[in-house]
Amino acid sequence: MIDHIFVEPGMSPRDIVNKVRSLDGVCLTSVSMRDAGQSDFKNRFRLYDIKTLAPIYNKMGLFSAECHGGARWHVGVMNRKECPFEEVELFRQQMPRVLLQTLVRETNLWGYRPYPPNVIKHVVSKVDIDIWRCFSFLNDIRNMQSVAEVVMNRGRLFEPAVCFTQTDWTCTDWTCNSYYLKVVDEIVSLCAGTDEIILCIKDMAGLGSPQRIGSLVDVIKQKYPELVIHYHRHTTDGLAIPALLAAAKAGASILDVQEDPLVRFYGHSPILAVRALLEESGIPVHLNLDEAEAAVQKVREWIGHYEWAESPFKGYDYRVIKHRMPGGAFPSSFEQAEKGGFLHLMPEILTLMSLYNQMINYFDVTPGSQITWATCSGIVNRYVKERGEASVKKLISLLKKFVEEKGQDIEQMDESEQEELYLLFRSASRDFKNLLLGKYGKLPAEWPADWVYKSSFGDRWMSQIKGRSELSPLEMVEDEDLDKQKSDLAAAIGREPGDNELILYLMHPKDAVDFIHFRDKYGEAPLVLPTDVWRKGLSKSGCNVEFQSWGKPCCVELVSVGNEHEGYIHVVMRVNNQTRVYSIRTPRAKVEEMRMATGPGDVGATLNGNLWRIGNPQRGTLQVGAIVRMGEEIANIEAMKMENGIYAPFDGQIIEVCAKLNDIVHEGQLLFVLEKQR
Amino acid sequence: MERKISKVLVANRGVAAVRIMHTCRDRKIKTTAVYSTPDRLSHHVTVADLSVHIGEAPPGESYLNMDRIIEAALQTGSDAVHPGWGFLSENDVFARKVIDAGLIWIGPPPDVIRAMGDKIEAKKIATMAGAPVIPGVDNVTDPSVIKQWMETEGVDFPIMIKASAGGGGKAMLKVDSEAEIPAALSQVRSEASKSFGNDAVLVEKYIERGRHIEVQVVADEYGNVVHLYERECTIQRRNQKIIEEAPSPSLDDELRQEICNTAIRLMKSIDYVSAGTVEFIFDPPTRKFYFLEVNTRLQVEHGITELITGLDIVGIMIDVALGKPLPFKQTDIHPNRWSLEVRLNAEDPRSFGPSFGTITRLHSPHGPAVRISSGVYEGAGIPPYYDSLIMLIMATGADREDAIRVMDRAISKNLRVEGVKTLAPLLLSIIRHPQFISGEFSTRFIEEHMDELISMFIEKDSEDEILKVARYIAEVSALGTPDWI
Repeated sequence: MIDHIFVEPGMSPRDIVNKVRSLDGVCLTSVSMRDAGQSDFKNRFRLYDIKTLAPIYNKMGLFSAECHGGARWHVGVMNRKECPFEEVELFRQQMPRVLLQTLVRETNLWGYRPYPPNVIKHVVSKVDIDIWRCFSFLNDIRNMQSVAEVVMNRGRLFEPAVCFTQTDWTCTDWTCNSYYLKVVDEIVSLCAGTDEIILCIKDMAGLGSPQRIGSLVDVIKQKYPELVIHYHRHTTDGLAIPALLAAAKAGASILDVQEDPLVRFYGHSPILAVRALLEESGIPVHLNLDEAEAAVQKVREWIGHYEWAESPFKGYDYRVIKHRMPGGAFPSSFEQAEKGGFLHLMPEILTLMSLYNQMINYFDVTPGSQITWATCSGIVNRYVKERGEASVKKLISLLKKFVEEKGQDIEQMDESEQEELYLLFRSASRDFKNLLLGKYGKLPAEWPADWVYKSSFGDRWMSQIKGRSELSPLEMVEDEDLDKQKSDLAAAIGREPGDNELILYLMHPKDAVDFIHFRDKYGEAPLVLPTDVWRKGLSKSGCNVEFQSWGKPCCVELVSVGNEHEGYIHVVMRVNNQTRVYSIRTPRAKVEEMRMATGPGDVGATLNGNLWRIGNPQRGTLQVGAIVRMGEEIANIEAMKMENGIYAPFDGQIIEVCAKLNDIVHEGQLLFVLEKQR
Repeated sequence: MERKISKVLVANRGVAAVRIMHTCRDRKIKTTAVYSTPDRLSHHVTVADLSVHIGEAPPGESYLNMDRIIEAALQTGSDAVHPGWGFLSENDVFARKVIDAGLIWIGPPPDVIRAMGDKIEAKKIATMAGAPVIPGVDNVTDPSVIKQWMETEGVDFPIMIKASAGGGGKAMLKVDSEAEIPAALSQVRSEASKSFGNDAVLVEKYIERGRHIEVQVVADEYGNVVHLYERECTIQRRNQKIIEEAPSPSLDDELRQEICNTAIRLMKSIDYVSAGTVEFIFDPPTRKFYFLEVNTRLQVEHGITELITGLDIVGIMIDVALGKPLPFKQTDIHPNRWSLEVRLNAEDPRSFGPSFGTITRLHSPHGPAVRISSGVYEGAGIPPYYDSLIMLIMATGADREDAIRVMDRAISKNLRVEGVKTLAPLLLSIIRHPQFISGEFSTRFIEEHMDELISMFIEKDSEDEILKVARYIAEVSALGTPDWI
């Protein structure tokens, strides 16, 4: 049998690059384990299903499997309740011969704010990934420095990405080849040549027309013939497959694909189709075809469980050329619109985005795409709320006039129109305003026009422009105290966190704490349960689910679900043949009205037991108003024939007695409120 | 006179009552249980042949209610009363009432109980019998008496204040400074009157790193007194034993003979009858032992002596109560095993706070060389009014190492209690601790090593993990798809 594996973990970056260079034709990266799910299925592909591809990939001869990073990280922690670290561990076991690839946002890593170099270095050094695809939504290559440094020092492969967009055919504006060549120059200079990196062209919205992309690859290859180019191309506009072919013809060596049954509208091209077209065009594709077909079949077995996660906005969208929403942002944006009740306003929002993109230039990819989305959907929603839906149409025609007829010259607009423009960005988010102030780095073309500043900041606009920074956030954000972060996390979860838990917390503090609580409570449920059971539980009496846990078979069978009674539902189940009853609190459960000792003057019970004495033998019963001395016994709790004194924590006066004599009190329950005596 | 026992009323609850009923069952003797209201569905009630409700939850109204208990015995046609341990087991008034009611008292004569129940009296008798005693002062009601005694006898802190009528670790406090004396004195007196109906207290010098060693004795009406060797009960928390073993790893044969003979001498001098225990504190640096007290009753940890000797001490108590002579001589007693017992209390293993509630799941740790003495069943409630002991786990081996190995297996693999917290994690940490394994420990072992012991608690267990998954399934099945999914 032929071994199709040509690169594998443990190889040096230089060896990997040389292997690709010497390949006849192209090789493929599968994005099924990350971007495929992100682009059409809200990142909901669970490890439970994804992992079935791993043993197949292990023999498939891929260049790499992108299985980590992007929004998969955050959604994993937040919605799938999976830890990115356990994913990597599992993939290492089940596909040890496949290079694992992440997608990382330079200074933002897998979070949404710029991190200081010490956090970046700490995190990047702890994550076991072979290929680090790294992008900047501003193409500000300076921002990649910290990630590049650690990745290359670790002997892992760094794959800097050039974010790509396209505005017209003639290449007369800033998105022309010379602009991208300048970015590539910066990358080559940052990485000291072309021998230990792979360059990614990141076409995250799916805009590159075949000729345009062919021309770009060609120009880069002419200047850097030895540079290996990896093309990442979403399918949104419907032209992805010919664009991939054009890139390959021009000299790109690695293409992103996914299993055919995963392909919907915003992700990547189908692996078998891409292979067929390239082979027919005379470009050999390095791939174990049998295994690729097996993977396609494997996906068919589980993809039916994810209909619920698909984007409600179905079909290709060639207008992406204008609004440029990246494939990875489609489902989450639509999900948000659906939940927020403004799905019907999507056409207006997308139109507004098209106009916005002509006024403020950067790349629509995280966090830029979020800024664009939040700003534009925010404006539309504000208009609807304040002035009714008809006002949105008026705003759009005003902006069309401003952009398309008046060449964005605000002086040519009427006074009332000017006034409206000057208020357009006033309620925009802090992220948008930070972007204008250079907090994310330098914008790729030029800073927005003055009126945008006036619109955002009002009277303070001139001073804000003066304070605008041209530095990289790496130079501006101060190092963080990791020990303090760790102790904050320990306080939040009530135990010492592990290294991995700290990294989750650094990226997404609130969601990480929720996640850790969830997993402490529900254990491996997110990993071992089939997707239908994970979503809906067991539907009828007698239904069961079998899974493996700790190397042993387990079976959980539903016996019955009771009716709701006083906010509780009793569920009877057989867990490994033993009957168990679970009392499930519903949202209607009465809140227990036990007051807990929390304030500085609160004295609580130190254990569960019988409050048999309030006061002490010397003074008898103590009542409200009594003055007590620090250390004086003020109550006693008996439990299992042992007496336990409750002592005054300071000199003070009893202002409330919160329990009655002979109450059974609980640990932490409020017994007294004291007022400190001066 | 020919005596006959055909039905025994067990004046106790939980583990003690069930243990006694087991031997009665062996002997084809019927049993009567007594119970308080919250105990009406307790294990001991189920195990007995008959049962009688004797009052409400507070022990004073039920398990300490002598007249009600005797009435229950008469009403059910019981002809004997076994008091178990705790409650009325060392109450001479009760013993006398039982006998006066024409019933057989399975225990030592009331006079002996009274004499030994008074700690001050007991110390005098022990001294006369040639047993060394710890310096102390009796009948203390005022802190100044303690100060004066310490000055005259040259005693330093720490000292121990304890109930004269006490036992079982109840109503005793260690005091480290003069400032603590008044509060401690009043607390001990209060607990003493609650637990034993008598607030007399005594104060003694506290042996700092002592080891607790006791000798099990059985005696018949005919002056035959035989010891069944010693037990070591040094591992304690809050002065209550939680791990016991037999034989003691602290003694060599010479000391063993000495301590056992001292016990025999003492018990002979008081004409002891039935099963009883002479307790000593052993001071390893000086290799001296001091008499502490005589427990005139069956003890919680009697089981490990049964395991190393092959005898049934409850059975011997019944035979002696029937007027039979002991069927063996001292030279017939040959312990040939090592046995370890842990007390599974329903307590938080970190704070020792009691944990009451319902035992929702109970897997007893059966297996080779394990003896279980349980007072509960799956589904049983643990009321807050009584002792926290729910189960005794005993392990036996050819030697100490072997016994520890069996115990480790029992606690770590086969035991499962859900619904209430138990000491199990702590017990396991202790028997795995190098100093416990090497036999180097004192009564302060737990307080000295608490943080380390807690850090040894095992965090995850496969069954817990399955139950977490099951809980998730239950919630989603009941409430539908979570909105965050």
